Amino acid sequence: MKIDNKARFDALTHRILNELQQGEYAALAYYGENSDFMRFNNCKVRQSGTVLQTELTIKLWKDKKSHTTQLGLSGNFAKDDELVSEALSSARALLPLLPDDPYQAIPDGSSVSEASYKGSLLDSKDIPSRILEPAKGLDFTGLYSQGYLCRAAANSSGARHWFETETFLLDYSAWLPNGRAVKSSFAGREWQDSLYKDKLDSTKKAVAKLDAEEIVLKPGSYRAFICADALVEVTDFFSWYGLGERGLRQGESAFLALQEKREAFSPKFSLTQDFGLGVQPRFNENGELAPERLDLISSGKLVNTIVSSRTAKQYNIEANGATEGEDVRSLAIAAGNLAEADALAALGSGVYVSNFHYLNWSDVQAARITGMTRFSCLWVENGKIVGPIKDMRWDESLYNMLGTKLVDLTKERQLIVDSMTYERREVGGCLLPGILVDGLSFTL
Amino acid sequence: MKHDLQRLLNAAQSGAKEAEWIGLRKRKSDASFYMIRDGAFEEAVKAFNEGIMVEVLFKGSFGYAASADLSPEGIKTAAANALVTAKAVKDYTVYKFDSTVRPETKLEYISKRDKKAVPAVNELYAFMAEASKKLKAGEEIIQTSAMVEYGRYDYEIVSTNGADIEQSLFYISNFLQAIARKGDIIQTRSGNGPRALSRQGGWELLDIPHLLNMAEKTGQEAIELLSAPSCPNDKRTLVLMPDQMMLQIHESVGHPLEIDRILGDERNYAGGSFVKLSDFGSFQYGSKLMNISFDPGIGHELATYGADEIGNLAKKELLIKDGILMRGLGSLESQARSGVPGVANQRATSWNRPPIDRMANLNLEPGSTSFADMIKSIEKGILMKTNRSWSIDDYRNKFQFGCEYGVLIENGKLTKTVRDPNYRGISSSFWRNLAQVGDKNSFEVFGTPNCGKGEPNQVIFVGHASPVCAFNDVEVFGGGR
Repeated sequence: MKIDNKARFDALTHRILNELQQGEYAALAYYGENSDFMRFNNCKVRQSGTVLQTELTIKLWKDKKSHTTQLGLSGNFAKDDELVSEALSSARALLPLLPDDPYQAIPDGSSVSEASYKGSLLDSKDIPSRILEPAKGLDFTGLYSQGYLCRAAANSSGARHWFETETFLLDYSAWLPNGRAVKSSFAGREWQDSLYKDKLDSTKKAVAKLDAEEIVLKPGSYRAFICADALVEVTDFFSWYGLGERGLRQGESAFLALQEKREAFSPKFSLTQDFGLGVQPRFNENGELAPERLDLISSGKLVNTIVSSRTAKQYNIEANGATEGEDVRSLAIAAGNLAEADALAALGSGVYVSNFHYLNWSDVQAARITGMTRFSCLWVENGKIVGPIKDMRWDESLYNMLGTKLVDLTKERQLIVDSMTYERREVGGCLLPGILVDGLSFTL
Repeated sequence: MKHDLQRLLNAAQSGAKEAEWIGLRKRKSDASFYMIRDGAFEEAVKAFNEGIMVEVLFKGSFGYAASADLSPEGIKTAAANALVTAKAVKDYTVYKFDSTVRPETKLEYISKRDKKAVPAVNELYAFMAEASKKLKAGEEIIQTSAMVEYGRYDYEIVSTNGADIEQSLFYISNFLQAIARKGDIIQTRSGNGPRALSRQGGWELLDIPHLLNMAEKTGQEAIELLSAPSCPNDKRTLVLMPDQMMLQIHESVGHPLEIDRILGDERNYAGGSFVKLSDFGSFQYGSKLMNISFDPGIGHELATYGADEIGNLAKKELLIKDGILMRGLGSLESQARSGVPGVANQRATSWNRPPIDRMANLNLEPGSTSFADMIKSIEKGILMKTNRSWSIDDYRNKFQFGCEYGVLIENGKLTKTVRDPNYRGISSSFWRNLAQVGDKNSFEVFGTPNCGKGEPNQVIFVGHASPVCAFNDVEVFGGGR
């Protein structure tokens, strides 16, 4: 079934907002996708199929009461109208039973935006041949996803936002029998076989370098160059117990010491939320707009936090269009002075970190993270690659990694698009340099 | 409803006439989530979702199409799309399957519940408000949170080879947390860890007197931790309580035994495994005290069910017996690909993702040591409880886990409370150092709804039950920069 998502969203918005009763306010968030997924192992197809789904979130406020309904829509107009009717009726019945919401934040913005990006994607039936034939000879594994997706939001104050795009993302790795691998991705809006072939050629060259005896490091502190592909795993920690105002106020954030000036990052380290990256819309689930650019850490110091309307209400401060989870979106880390071509020379002797794996806070208050090296991490001596390392566990405070031990960041930055597909294909991404660190603590 | 699904199966057949087999897997979820923070309303959410995955088999290849359009026309179109996919991949498929990996099971299953009627929502908020007061055990508490979530999953499966399955799983989850601060020290204590009190059953699970006691103790322990010294850095005997054992089992036994990981399906995302196919039947995974079961039949454990989502009937199996690896977490598909004996564990997060190898209820069987005797036998050790940090490599070898609360064991006695307790190790050597396994009296059931895996990504609910356990010679350490 072909769904006209824009027409559907407009109709639902019109219908719900016009049906509100005296004293009721609402915000609507809409998510849609029509996706192809193909999963690979050993250059063959493991699972493959399509997903057609649309979801609607309805927030309803009346007096001091607040309620949220999340609905999976069928795409059938008549059935969805019934679902929405039931949801509204159920929410209205529930509202009087809920306690008052002291921090109720009914959106009052009436901004409007619309963005539409068409793509040129593979025909579904051609995906296996176009992806796998050029990859023959590689132990190739990963996921290809492609298709249409949209995000939209509206509220009873008049805000209307629409974002739709057609994209593809091949997230893959190529393996050697020794268990080493090169991880890479190929993403965009227009598929081009020639660019894909170039990407695979580069992968083939990189994987050949891993066919050497594995070097086993002893636990200890090692100088390390951390590529953007690895650093992206660290960026999640600016959202999880991160730079959200509520977490800082209520003791959950790892960056309380930064805010209280007990700790600082390096003067070379600056971090912004920058929707200029063009990878996700500025509006949130309540139809509120974030500023195009928000400096969060400038020259090592905390200058702004991520503030939702709810937190703003609670603490009588200004909101900045954040999502209710107060995540950092479209994160960008400022470039430094190190040319990427000089990274190995600047590293001297140490570990070239291509990828990290499974990071977690090991001590939130000390902003300390543990994780693993993964895929093609290399031992370097005197600026020359010696060979792949056996994966190591590390455990380090961000106040060291991005503070006292941060030597430099690369001039070049890489745009890394979000590859997550939990519940739905995500939008978003980060713009990141590589970083040179004089001492990453390897522990196991 | 079965009649409707049979009608939709007919529609699917008309859309994919060349298919050798067609199956419909319908999934409906209905959930409610209520939360307060610092005694004040935070959130009330109701979620509803329903859809069908149509799966077709064509010349050894499966193709799927997932859609929430449950009209006959919508399912017919989905079946046609699934057939296009199956045809497109038939020369590239990792294995030529046949319909024996989709059994002709007929089953009706519903969670056991003692109390079925849902309390009024204002009663739930009254409980959470009372729990918040208990959590606020002193001025040092800077944040309290209380949450109740409940819901149901309804599954229906029909297929052209006669499968006819209906399952309804009911669950309740609750969470209590207090954050305390004194000077620059901040400590968090929660009931049994994030979402660990997620269980299957009825409202008998919301044992309010017990939970209010737990809330009071949680707040008091958060304050107690503020004055506790940091966990020492050394090697000693580690005693893990069941609410940390669940994480230890999950990460260092469950995931490495998933056959799809061993076959390489997950290498690009969740990772592989240090276990090889040739290890089954002989590999000494742990000490002789280690007996790990896949047990989909324990009442109140979160992943209890009658059949998995390809229709394979679920039954208890020992995966590790007396420390020896005997069987994997492999579905019928993985068993066909690997030749390794498995279990009924092909499961999906919802209708919009294909089932893959998963843990379900994965438990450590009780031993014979009482908790008191265990502590009495330890000269230098530490007891840790309630997970707060988890990280392990992509082969499931090198792990580092952290807990909320630690107590030193000195000369057979529990002595000083310590904060920020962590430990690290390597999976198989850690399990070979399993020195004591608690008896049935210390056996507790927990679960989590948040196990992530798969491409496209999926989360799923799993259950873990374990007694208290002691491990020798474990590297433990504290926090700080």
